[in-house]
Amino acid sequence: MGSFFALSDKLKLNDVLPNKITIWKLRNNNPLRKSYTNNNIKIEEFDALIKITAEMSKYLYPYIREILQSKEDPKKNSIVWNSFHKRFIELINERFNTNSVRVKKLINKTENDEMLIKSLLTLSLCISKEGNKKLKKYLFNF
Amino acid sequence: MLQNKLSFHQSSVSLEIIGLPDYSNNEDKNQISIISEWKLNIIDKPLIEGKIDHLGPIMSAFYTYSNLLITNQIPLYESNLIDIKADNLHMHNIVLKSSKPDVKPLIIKIGNSLLSDIVNCFDQLNESSKVQIKKSCIFNTFPKKVRFPLTNKADFFNIILPPIISICSLSLISYSLIYFYNPIENKDKNELINPK
Repeated sequence: MGSFFALSDKLKLNDVLPNKITIWKLRNNNPLRKSYTNNNIKIEEFDALIKITAEMSKYLYPYIREILQSKEDPKKNSIVWNSFHKRFIELINERFNTNSVRVKKLINKTENDEMLIKSLLTLSLCISKEGNKKLKKYLFNF
Repeated sequence: MLQNKLSFHQSSVSLEIIGLPDYSNNEDKNQISIISEWKLNIIDKPLIEGKIDHLGPIMSAFYTYSNLLITNQIPLYESNLIDIKADNLHMHNIVLKSSKPDVKPLIIKIGNSLLSDIVNCFDQLNESSKVQIKKSCIFNTFPKKVRFPLTNKADFFNIILPPIISICSLSLISYSLIYFYNPIENKDKNELINPK
């Protein structure tokens, strides 16, 4: 949450996201979360979240790239992929409602590879200056 | 005349643009508007180079293909110049066809990491203020669904049909009620209730 808030501060989004509680409330709009609350997201808040996500993927690009690369050669022992996958499932179990069918699909090791690869690829393609616009277009097309 | 050279780098890929500014438009001497040559250098892969005529279609191919890939459509792009298709979820096959006869097509295999490096290099070129290229042909590569969400026939009818049906049914019901309503009889009733 701290890095999320630091990024919103860096991107001068203080008017839309003035504090960590606002960000926390926005994150709870995700119906897959355990702490889901149905608040209406305003368009400015949606745009702010997109900008933060694109900025985060810019910072994390070397790591995202390494995870994608570790899956390309099946002969290689993909330690990077396995550690990423393990951490992803840990976080989902910790924060998401695991009784939901959609969440069960997310943590199903045999089914979630494609979803994870496509999500990482989407993030890796949105790291340019106008990456937020690209990410928005991709999300509208999902 | 000395040509300008601009490079865009992203991890294992670099894109080099060589050309001249358009002095007739009073452009800065560091600008490139007339591209004479470009080179796409991917580490451990053959060099890809060409003229301006090839740059637009190749960029367009990569943008279209990456969009298809992440929007759950069939990842296949075919043209006279370049074919890109997915081998599997992680690897992609690029076939570059030469316009010259007797030149065999160049086949390159790249993974998701190199694909994103290439697209990011093209993004840097698109966003660079120092290079002027026809951006219309490159940016309009998103599927129609994104650009014109209301042009989808099914969506359009889904939006417009319910209100039309409700208005028609309302008017039909009102007309049928008017048929049963007799104003003279009603007037008589009123007189009986309120005799003057």
